[in-house]
Amino acid sequence: MAHDEKLISELEEKADIVRRNIFTIFDASQMGHAGGTMSLVEIVTALYFHHLKIDPKNCDWPERDRLVLSKAHCCEAIYAILVELGVLPRETLTTYYRYGSPLQGHADRWCTQGIDYSGGSLGQGLSFAAGLALAEKFKVLRQPPSQSSLMPRYITRYNPLYRSYCILGDGECHEGQVWEAAMFATKYKLDNLINIVDYNKFSLDGPTNEVMQIEPFVDKWKSFGWWVTEIDGHNLREIVDVLDLASNLYGDGKPKCIIAHTVKGHGISSWEAAHTHIGRGEDISRGVREGRAKYGEV
Amino acid sequence: MAKYSEHVKIDGNAMVADGVNNGMMKAAAKDDRIIAVLEDMGFPGLGWFKENAPERVIECGIAEANGAVMAAGLAAEGFVPFIHSFAFAVVSRACNQIRQSILQDRFNVKLLGREGAWGEPGISHNHIEIIGITRVMPNLVIVDPADVVEAEKAVMAIAEYIGPVFLKIEASPPPLRIFTEDYPFDLGKAYTVKDGKDATIIACGYMLTESILAGELLEKEGIDVRIINMSTLKPLDNEAVIRAAEETGAIVTAENASIIGGLGEAVATVLSEYSPAPLIRVGIEDEFSQSGRIMPEIDELKTHFGLGAEDVALSVKECMAKRERLKKRK
Repeated sequence: MAHDEKLISELEEKADIVRRNIFTIFDASQMGHAGGTMSLVEIVTALYFHHLKIDPKNCDWPERDRLVLSKAHCCEAIYAILVELGVLPRETLTTYYRYGSPLQGHADRWCTQGIDYSGGSLGQGLSFAAGLALAEKFKVLRQPPSQSSLMPRYITRYNPLYRSYCILGDGECHEGQVWEAAMFATKYKLDNLINIVDYNKFSLDGPTNEVMQIEPFVDKWKSFGWWVTEIDGHNLREIVDVLDLASNLYGDGKPKCIIAHTVKGHGISSWEAAHTHIGRGEDISRGVREGRAKYGEV
Repeated sequence: MAKYSEHVKIDGNAMVADGVNNGMMKAAAKDDRIIAVLEDMGFPGLGWFKENAPERVIECGIAEANGAVMAAGLAAEGFVPFIHSFAFAVVSRACNQIRQSILQDRFNVKLLGREGAWGEPGISHNHIEIIGITRVMPNLVIVDPADVVEAEKAVMAIAEYIGPVFLKIEASPPPLRIFTEDYPFDLGKAYTVKDGKDATIIACGYMLTESILAGELLEKEGIDVRIINMSTLKPLDNEAVIRAAEETGAIVTAENASIIGGLGEAVATVLSEYSPAPLIRVGIEDEFSQSGRIMPEIDELKTHFGLGAEDVALSVKECMAKRERLKKRK
């Protein structure tokens, strides 16, 4: 597919800025979920700077797209973006993990502007995103009395008020609740729900598929009735394409699952080699030095 | 017969669940943001929903974790989901989900948990720990209505209150119909069913029935006992507890739940911090429940646990004796 190369290079530039902000966060906190945050950078960059319908000046805009970060320990990537969008002040970057900071250890809707979901305990985000998606169906389908049926046996074309996006980690797909939510989304035909799995192949105890096998992963989602596709989660062209496609498939009555193949600790050799989950001290400092040399300083 | 407060008129027995049904129908008719979230255990007033608002019935199946968090998502968008199942399912099975996805952000989700401390289903369903489990959770209001009238008013009140609530639906034997139709239910406020000067019984849920019967027994012995209905277990009406301690000087709590973490402990905390007074907690000791038949002539588990009117009355006398012993020691 032909691409707007200007857009791609702009997004690449934004991804580097996001990384620099992440390094500022890590440098100050000397601790962080380095692996899972770095594997997420391109995905959230494409979402926030290109795809999502949001207004950084009005985070509570009722028609904004919702983003549920189920793997909420990787909130560093979202904080880095919210600072870049001007939602959070730049000074907050150095306050991660601190008392009273909007940059809580795990994303927290109650105390941070621009965060739609409070997470931490894994496996719950897809259910929440399904609730948001169902609410959208209620809000729109209920208005015309002739379309009051929530489960449209006939599919009605209309523009969604908003879409509900969820980002799952691969490790949290071990949670049974993910599959409860997968069944639920199919039952209620939540085609306004787009789930992205950051499939970085490693969880804390080792390779995700050794800890507990999730493969055949694509078949699992398919058998639950989802529209499924796989992409390279570090290729911005593929990400932009698949997000546009998934949105345009709206109206088919199927929830969408994008399995993004990624690398844990992407871009930083020591984090990639160690499959770092949570880094501390010298592990973080070394990575930040390498990152700054590679992606530049703020 | 004892002299009760103006909104009390004891009149036979009725199921708490019937009151919840009525309250649910009235609340849902009044507020179209209310959504019935089912977990394969039916729903109060389901017939009304099916007839009048079938689109507001969401069936989650036996998947309580998803049900709780999905409901949080609905609440985040301004809807008022009510989830209904057994208490062990709707609450305990989804404790972590409720904690993180509902309570942390104070989402307006209502949890209706059917619970009977005793009855045929046995240990799994007779979930006597539920009050202790929920009381420790921040941002959660806990209500345990005592009779059919209060249940109806409580459901309508929690529908109007903005924030998460757990409402226990008594599934044990039908309690007495205690209150009149104009009973003023006030969320977070205790109600004095009968005034008295010799001692106070603070009861919640089904045990208000046994406490009233205990009051009748005590009256025959010339003991004038105050009876307080503490249907909101959290936030607790501290004022009512302190006043009872100061004016009667002996407190008995009565609950058909574990005495650990329940009403008795909540009252004990208030007493020891603000107005020390002798206390006896009537409830279920640190043990599991089991199956038992409820029949008109005998209620096996009530007898087993010692939760009958005679047991409450005995505890009142014991507590008064305790007060006298303490006075002498001083």
